[in-house]
Amino acid sequence: MTARAGMRVGLALLQLVAVSVGVFVLTTFLPGDTAEVVLGPLATPEQIEVLRGQLGLDRPVWAQFADWVGGLVHGDLGRSIATGRPVVDDIGSRLGLTVVLALLAVVVLVPLVVVLGLYGGRHPGSPADRLITAATTVAHAVPDFALGLLLVALFALQLGWLPATAAGTVGLSGLTAPMLVLPVAILVSNQLGRLARQVRIGVVEADAAEHVAHLRRLGLAERTVLLRHVLPAGVVPSLQQFARTVDGLLGGVLVVEALFALPGLGSGFVAAVQTRDLPVVQAYALLFAATTVVVNLVADLASARLVPQAVRL
Amino acid sequence: MPVSRRSFLAGVAGAGALATLAACANGGAGGAPQTGGRLRAAFVAGGAQETLDPHRLPQFMDQARAKACFDTLGRWEQDMSCTPRLAESWEPDATGTRWRIRLRQASFHDGRPVRATDVLYTYRRIADPATTASAAALFTGIDFAASRAVNDRELEIVLGAPNHLFPVALGSYGSEIVPEGTTSFAAPVGSGPFRFVSFTPGGPALYRRNDAYWDGAPALDELEFLPVADESARVGALLSGQIEYAHDIRATSAQQLASDSRAQVLTAPGAAFQFLYVKHDRPPFDDPRLRQALVLGLDREALARVALLGRGQPGNDMFGKGLRYYPDAVPQRTRDVDRAKALVAESGVTTVELSTGVTDPSWPAATQLIVAQLAEIGLTAQVRNVPPETYFADVRKNATMHFSRTGTLPVQNWIATTQLSSALTNSFSKYVDPEIDRLHAQALADPDEGARAAAIGSALTRIHDNIASPIWGISDWIVGVHGDVKGLQGFRPNTFDWANFAKASLG
Repeated sequence: MTARAGMRVGLALLQLVAVSVGVFVLTTFLPGDTAEVVLGPLATPEQIEVLRGQLGLDRPVWAQFADWVGGLVHGDLGRSIATGRPVVDDIGSRLGLTVVLALLAVVVLVPLVVVLGLYGGRHPGSPADRLITAATTVAHAVPDFALGLLLVALFALQLGWLPATAAGTVGLSGLTAPMLVLPVAILVSNQLGRLARQVRIGVVEADAAEHVAHLRRLGLAERTVLLRHVLPAGVVPSLQQFARTVDGLLGGVLVVEALFALPGLGSGFVAAVQTRDLPVVQAYALLFAATTVVVNLVADLASARLVPQAVRL
Repeated sequence: MPVSRRSFLAGVAGAGALATLAACANGGAGGAPQTGGRLRAAFVAGGAQETLDPHRLPQFMDQARAKACFDTLGRWEQDMSCTPRLAESWEPDATGTRWRIRLRQASFHDGRPVRATDVLYTYRRIADPATTASAAALFTGIDFAASRAVNDRELEIVLGAPNHLFPVALGSYGSEIVPEGTTSFAAPVGSGPFRFVSFTPGGPALYRRNDAYWDGAPALDELEFLPVADESARVGALLSGQIEYAHDIRATSAQQLASDSRAQVLTAPGAAFQFLYVKHDRPPFDDPRLRQALVLGLDREALARVALLGRGQPGNDMFGKGLRYYPDAVPQRTRDVDRAKALVAESGVTTVELSTGVTDPSWPAATQLIVAQLAEIGLTAQVRNVPPETYFADVRKNATMHFSRTGTLPVQNWIATTQLSSALTNSFSKYVDPEIDRLHAQALADPDEGARAAAIGSALTRIHDNIASPIWGISDWIVGVHGDVKGLQGFRPNTFDWANFAKASLG
């Protein structure tokens, strides 16, 4: 297993290189450049040329890319073309917020998914199971922005219990717990239905498995059967989906960030693309690709740990 | 001169609109304003690359912050005339090339007096191409070698050519006076109503009242600018009391705010000119019959009613309705489907391309309407969607017909930056008319106000007749403020009073 895991890591590094080159090539195909975007639509062609020179954009793009790669080899992600500041500074303040949001969502999501999935899987077809399925399906079907507007209208504007936005915060600075309640609720709501249904199906199948029936015939306590055997086997099929969920949360959640004025990685990445800020775009792409690789690797390892006989790395 | 969501330049009403503006006011009667407190104002902002350099103002938020911290020599009024502000007076010589400017007694936040040398330094910095200043074009005509400080409070500016409208430059956004020698704006020092406290690029900017402000200290203790890119988030933050000022509100949200006692809606009528540019230098709109068919085929009433959601008015293919020098006598162009059909048939063109985007919230609806209206005159419009961040750069090069919008500017400035043959490398229409150049130069050189108005009016009329820059509508500009806020009105962006919090209070 260790050798296979090592191969996965090696493959992951190759994937990061491929993503880096791919993003660079795609970015060069985008119309416009940083100078045009920074100066705005009223700038004259002469002003744009001057700023291009000041920002070093008049150099060949491959030379810019080579500089960036050279820095990366020495652990330096470079400086933003638009701001001149180190890229890690720009990303760092957003990363903290996104990680906190993702962790909170996961902390709320996991117990809910397990409890709802286990209950539904143990009592398929019951009124409670149908209610859970219907409610989570509706929650999943409602788009984030629509749910966000509804929740803001109710809890912030009508009842006044929660702030409508996190306006004025920078990264984690100024952020308060009430500001995160509605964003986390939307993130959880969006993912709950899909994951709970997958766990439910997994539990139904595991519960009906011959070896589980055998354990029950042997007189093993029901609690032990459920927690030691049914639940792990029921959860494994949804681990990849869970990994995708975590990956998505760590990649920034653009709609929620926009709705609540949360300066996370999603809006930062979009801003970098819109500004054609190549070093920053590259850094985001690397970060997202690394997150995807790591999260999926962890999901694979977790699957192997839960049901070793069922999973091959 | 285009305007994106980021850098839309708006403003101005004519004398007739002033009454409407007054009706939108939320201050005035009711005794002295309450002092103290922090007003939080939310705008769309530029992100991490923002600076507090008052001479580079690509966004509305940049303009508003500059206005809080700095002063300009003049102020742009609602009809885009310019009156003295930090300048006490200005006088030209008979030729309009030599201007004597006297400064008001004022001081920067660090206690230094505002001097003539600060003004000369500022204008030289703006005119320097390396600064890439927003108002550079207005100051490049200065002969800096010949200009001089007469004494601390008086200077003489010498122009390379006569310009009796030069003082208009002194009220422009992006012409804020900075202390001589300033090269860093990390902690800006100005002479405006608020002193700088703190700023995070892409985040909040905090200012505190300048008790020594020459025009009287503001009522507010503090003023904070917050970046909130999403319009619905600005509305939500306003209604939940997280902010007191929400800039750039859509017509649909304005209805919501108007029915809520926690908010007020401040509307500046006729603030944004909505264009449908066509390129004169290439097919198919190099054919004057097709251009004529286009403007006769537009149902402007329907566009104003539907695309602008009733918060606007039909355009008449001339920039500047309600502004100084606008020729009101030119009849409103109306729809004539039969004539338009005949012209299309004569031209032999059946298909045209229409570039659009989401830079302005009215464009998607306007696109649908215009496609339908053109179909009625025998033209099939193929729609090309262009992303907002590169919209104007793209359509400038590639589009044959495209949407654009421009906020309020002095009419002569708009002509100079979009219609002069000498500026054609940057124009949307590629319309060449040396007579416009001549009329513009004549207007600047003529000391007589009546003759000047006639020359600019003639230039606009030519622009109308030759379909140089078709305008299908003029939209309102809407701001939402908290119900308790006083001292603000529905002013159009770019004017001195727009987003100016020097007289605002929280009660």
